[in-house]
Amino acid sequence: MTSMLEATDRDRSGRTAASEAEVVMALEQTWRPEPGLWGWLRSVDHKSVATRYLVTAFVFFLLAGLEAATMRLQLARPENRLLGPDAYNQFFTMHGTTMMFLFAVPVMQAAGLYLVPLMIGARNVAFPKLNAYGYWVYLFGGVFLYLMFFLNTGPDAGWFSYVPLAGPEYSPGKRVDVWAQAITFTEIAALTASVELIVTIFKMRAPGMTLNRMPLFVWAMLVQSFMVLFAMPWVATASQFLAMDRLVATHFFNQAEGGDPLLWQHLFWFFGHPEVYIIFIPALGFVSSIVTTFTRRPVFGYPAMVLSLVGTAFLGFGLWVHHMFATGLPQLGESFFTAASMMIAIPSGVQIFCWIATIWEGRPRFGVPFLWAIGFVVVFIIGGFTGVMIASVPFDQQVHDTYFIVAHFHYVLIGGAVFPLFGAFHYWFPKVTGRMLSERLGRWQFWLFFVGVNLTFFPMHQLGFEGMPRRVYTYLPETGWGSLNLLATVGAVIMAVSVVLFLVNLARSLRAPHLAGDNPWGGETLEWATTSPPRPYNFPLVPVVDGRMPLWQHPDGLPALAGLRTDVRDVLMTTVLDAEPDSRHRHPPPTIWPFCAAIATTITFITLIFTPWGLVIGFPFLLVAFIGWAWPRGQDHQEQRRVEAEAAVEVAG
Amino acid sequence: MIPLLQASQFPGRHSVLEPAGAQAALIKDGLWDPMFVTASVTFALVVAALLWALLRRRVGGETLEDPARQRRLGLTVSLATAVTTIVLFVFLVVDSTVGRATTATPGHSALQIRVTGHQWWWEVQYRDSLAQHWVTTANEIHIPVGRPVVVELRSTDVIHSFWPPNLSAKRDLIPGHENSLWLEADSSGEYRGQCAEYCGHQHAKMAFLVVAEPSDSFAGWLAGQRDTAATPADSLTRRGQEVFLGSACPMCHAVAGTPAGSRVGPDLTHLGSRRTLAAGTLPNTRGNLAGWIVNPQAIKPGAKMPPNALSPDDLQALLAYLETLR
Amino acid sequence: MTAFRPVGTVANLPNTVFGHRSAMWWGTLAFIVIEGSTLFICAVSYFYVAQRFPTWPPEHVLRPAWTAASIQAALMLLSNIPMVMVDRAALRLDLATVRAGMLVISLLAVVMCGVRVLEFGALGVRWDSTAYGSVAWATLVTHTTLLLLETVESLVFTLLLYSPNLEQRDLSGSSDNALYWYFMTGVWIPLAAMVFLSPYLL
Repeated sequence: MTSMLEATDRDRSGRTAASEAEVVMALEQTWRPEPGLWGWLRSVDHKSVATRYLVTAFVFFLLAGLEAATMRLQLARPENRLLGPDAYNQFFTMHGTTMMFLFAVPVMQAAGLYLVPLMIGARNVAFPKLNAYGYWVYLFGGVFLYLMFFLNTGPDAGWFSYVPLAGPEYSPGKRVDVWAQAITFTEIAALTASVELIVTIFKMRAPGMTLNRMPLFVWAMLVQSFMVLFAMPWVATASQFLAMDRLVATHFFNQAEGGDPLLWQHLFWFFGHPEVYIIFIPALGFVSSIVTTFTRRPVFGYPAMVLSLVGTAFLGFGLWVHHMFATGLPQLGESFFTAASMMIAIPSGVQIFCWIATIWEGRPRFGVPFLWAIGFVVVFIIGGFTGVMIASVPFDQQVHDTYFIVAHFHYVLIGGAVFPLFGAFHYWFPKVTGRMLSERLGRWQFWLFFVGVNLTFFPMHQLGFEGMPRRVYTYLPETGWGSLNLLATVGAVIMAVSVVLFLVNLARSLRAPHLAGDNPWGGETLEWATTSPPRPYNFPLVPVVDGRMPLWQHPDGLPALAGLRTDVRDVLMTTVLDAEPDSRHRHPPPTIWPFCAAIATTITFITLIFTPWGLVIGFPFLLVAFIGWAWPRGQDHQEQRRVEAEAAVEVAG
Repeated sequence: MIPLLQASQFPGRHSVLEPAGAQAALIKDGLWDPMFVTASVTFALVVAALLWALLRRRVGGETLEDPARQRRLGLTVSLATAVTTIVLFVFLVVDSTVGRATTATPGHSALQIRVTGHQWWWEVQYRDSLAQHWVTTANEIHIPVGRPVVVELRSTDVIHSFWPPNLSAKRDLIPGHENSLWLEADSSGEYRGQCAEYCGHQHAKMAFLVVAEPSDSFAGWLAGQRDTAATPADSLTRRGQEVFLGSACPMCHAVAGTPAGSRVGPDLTHLGSRRTLAAGTLPNTRGNLAGWIVNPQAIKPGAKMPPNALSPDDLQALLAYLETLR
Repeated sequence: MTAFRPVGTVANLPNTVFGHRSAMWWGTLAFIVIEGSTLFICAVSYFYVAQRFPTWPPEHVLRPAWTAASIQAALMLLSNIPMVMVDRAALRLDLATVRAGMLVISLLAVVMCGVRVLEFGALGVRWDSTAYGSVAWATLVTHTTLLLLETVESLVFTLLLYSPNLEQRDLSGSSDNALYWYFMTGVWIPLAAMVFLSPYLL
C-alpha cells in the first residue's frame, strides 16, 4: 500500500492539478442521472436501482402483511367465515412466498446493493447493467405473481409446494405453475444480486480496505451472497423439475414411475434452510453497524464476529433434514442433523455475547435504531431457543407442523430480520434521503411492534402444544383454541398499527426539508463520509482506508486518491485480498438494454407456463436483448481509442 | 344446516403436555420440561446481562483501551460460549437417549393397525391372517390399553401426517413410502388427533379419534366390527337401505353384507357405532348426519362428497337405516 | 461533506487487465458456480432416482447408445486446444490469432449443437416414460442450455471481432469467455459418463 503511494506521489504535481471544485463539476456532468421516464428506465446507478428494490420489497412486505392480518382475522374465532378454504390456502401460500422470495431476500440484497459500494468507497457496483436487469426481473416476477393472485389463480399449495399435492394430479390448473415460475424470476434476481455483491466486494474495495478491515456489514453481505450462490440453484432447479412434471409429464416426483416426493423435500430444504440464514446474516450486519455507532465503540471481537458469520453459513447447509424429521428417515442420519442444528446456536451465541460486551464497553445512546437492535436480541433469542429445541428429533416430531413452529420461525424471522431491518431503515434513512425520521414516532412504532409481536406469536407456542396444526383455515369451537387465537389476532392488530405509524413517519419525513447532514449519528464507516443523499458518483475522490473505522480515525478529513478520469465513468478496481489499486475500469452509461432483456426473460417464462415451446418463442427476444446489451457503442469508441493507446503501452510494459 | 355445529360435548382431548402414553410422556418429561427450564433460565441471564450492560453506571475515568480490561471481557465472552457449548452437548446426549427410548421396537405382542390417509379422512384397517376377519373403519381407532400398537401409515394420494399428541409424536404418510410408528395408551380415554401435513382444501377438517379401552372391551368392539351389517328389520329401514343402494352412495361407500362395496369413501358398515362424522368434524348425531348427507359442501367445502338431494321421506328412511349400522 | 485529502493518484493504472485481475473474470466464475450447481443438482437427482430402481436403466428400457456421446466428448476436449490459443493470443493482444481461433471455436460449437441432437436420440428413452428418462433428459437439457449460450456467445463475439467498434477490453472479455468454455466442455465429461455409461455400470 505505502509503496504504491510513494510510487504515485511522483506524478502528483501534474496529474492532480485540477481543483476539487473542478473535479466535482466534471463528475456531476459525467455521472448525471438522465431525466424523465426514459432516463428512469435506463438508470444503472446502484443507488437508484437499490432504492427501487427497497421500495418494491417494502410494498410486498405490506401486501404479505395484509394477507397475514386477514388470516389472523379469519382465525380470531372458531368456524369464522371470513375466508373459505380456497381463499385461505391461497392467502397463506402467498404470505409465505411473498415474505420469503419477494420481501426478505430482496430487501436484504437491496440494502447491500445500496450500502456496500458506499461502505467500501466505490462509485458503483461491479456490473451496473446486470444489477438493473436483476431488479426488473424481480419486479416483473412479483407483479406477475400478484396479477395472477388477483385473478384468483394464486398458488395454493404452500410456499414449500410439497408434491404430490403440488403435482399435476392434485393441483390441476395453473396455480402451482404460477408459483414455480415466480420462484424462477426471484431466483434469477437473487443470483444476479449475489454475483454483483461478491464481485463488488472482492474487486472494488477502497485502497487499503483489506479483508481484515471490512465493515462487519460488508462481511455479512459477502457471506450471504455466497450462501445465495450455493443455495438458490437448488430451488430454481427443483421448481423447474416441478414445472416439467406438470407441463411435459416428467416423473421426478411421481412415485408410480420411480420418482419420489421426498426428492422434492430434499431439494427444496437444501435451499430452504440456508434461506433462513440468507435472511438473517445481513441483519446481523445491520445490528453490528448500529451497535457500533450507538455505543461509540467498535464491535468487540471482530475476528470472532467474522468467523461466526462464516461458521453460520457453513453449518446452515448441513441441517436441511431437520425439516423432514417426521418423514421417517433413518435414525443415524437424523442424529447428524440434530447435532448440526444445535451447533449452529454457538456462532449466534458468540455474536450476541460480543454485542453485549460492546454495549458493556460503550456509552449507549438510546436512539431508535439502537432500540430495534436491543429488541432484536430479546425477540430473536426466544426463537433461537425454540430452534434448539426442535433440533431434537422426538420433540420436533411432536411440534412439527403445529403452531409451535409458526411461533418459532416468526420469532426468528421477525426478531432476526424485521427488527434489525426497521432499525437499519431508521439508521440509514437520513443517508438515503437526507432527512431524519421522527424519533418520537419511531419509539411508538418500536414499542407497539414489540408488544404486538409477542402478543401475536407467544401464545402460538401453547396452541401448538394443544394440538393446533399449521395451515388450517379454521378450527372447531370444541378444540378450545379460540381464546389464544383471539389474543394472537389482537397482537396482529397492534403490529398493523405499528406499521401504519411507520408509514406516517415516512410520509411526514419525506415532506420535510433536507436537514440530516452527512453523518447525523456519528457513524464510523465510509458511507457517512459523503453527502446525504450521496451524489451519483458517491465520492469525489477514492477514499483510502487504514483501519476499520476510517471516520473515527480521521475526523479532519480522509486520505484519498485522485486520478480517476472525470470525463468518463471511470471506477477503480483493487486486488481481492489486500485491496491494492490495480486497474481502472470504464462503467457503462445509462442503457435501456437491461430493461429489454428483462422483458424478453418475462416473455419466455410466462409462455413457458403454458407451453414448452416458450423456450423457442422466447429465444429470439433473448437473443436480440443480449446482443444489444453486449454490443459496444460506437460513440464510446473514438474516445476509448485514445485511452487504449495510452494503456497499451502500460500493458506491454 | 349449520346449527349442527352447536354440538354439546365433543369427545377427545389433545395436548402434548398431557401425555397418556409412554411415547408422549418421554418427550414431555424427558425433553420438554428440562428444555423449558434451561431456556427460561438462559433467557433471564442473557436479558439480565444485556440490561446490565445497557444501564450500568459509567465511571468517569474508565480507560477503554486498557488491555487487562479487554482480556477480562474476552474471557467472559469465551466463558459464555463454552457454557453454551456444554449445555448444547448435554442436551444432545439427553435427546439421543430419549430418541432411543421412543424408537425402541415394541415386543411381538404389538397390535398392528394400518392407517391410510385420504383427502380428507382416515381409513383404519385391522388386519388378520384370515381375510374375512379384517375390519375396516374410518376416523376412529380403537386400541387396547397397556398393549403396544404399531400403526402402519400409508397414503395413496398426497402426504398426510398422523398425530395423536397425547399418545405419540407424529409421522408422515407419504405415497410410495411405508412408514410406521408405535404407541401405547396408559389409561383408557378418547384422544383426538389431526392431520398435521398440509394436504389441500380440507386439511383443517381431517381429524380422528383414538379410543383407548381395556383389552376385553376392545376385543368386544373388534368382534362387533367383524360382523356384517345388520339386516334391516322394519319397513322404514328396509326403505332406507333401498334409498342407500339406489342412490349415489354405493359409488363410494361400502356396507358389508350388501352389494355396496366401493372403497373410495369411508366404510359405513358400522357407521352408527362411531362417535364423529366427516373425519372428526361433527358429533355423530342424527341431525348432523342428515346435514352432512344433504349438503356436505356447507360443512367441508371442497370435500369429495357431493350434495344429495333427497326427498324428506327418503332422507328419514336413509337416516333410520344408517343408524342401524352399529 | 467530509474533506478528502489527496495523497496519491491512480491515473496511471492500466485500463485493460486479464484473468483474476478483471472483475468480469470473477463474475464469470460466479456464474460457473451457479451453472455448476444446477448440473450438480441434476446429478444428485440422477443418482437419487437410480437407487430407487432395482435395475438401472429400469426394466424394458434400452441402454443409451454411446457413439454420439463419445464423439461429443472428444469434440469438447479437443475444442480446448484452439480455446487455449485464443486465450493466450488475447493476452498478447494478437487480434489475428484471436479472430482465427474464434472462427474455429464457433464452427465447433455449431457442430456440437448438431451432435447434441443425436445424443438426445441416443438416449433411447422419452422424458415422460419413467423417472429415469426424466433425469437423463433434464441433465442433457440443462447442459444444452449452456452449450447454446456458449454457441451464441462465440458467434456474436466472433462477429464483434470484425466490428470497427472493437475495443481492447473486449479482448479481455475473450479470456473470460475462454474460462466459461473450459467449464462448459470440462463439466460435460463426467456428465456424459453419468448419463451414457452409468446405465452399463450401475
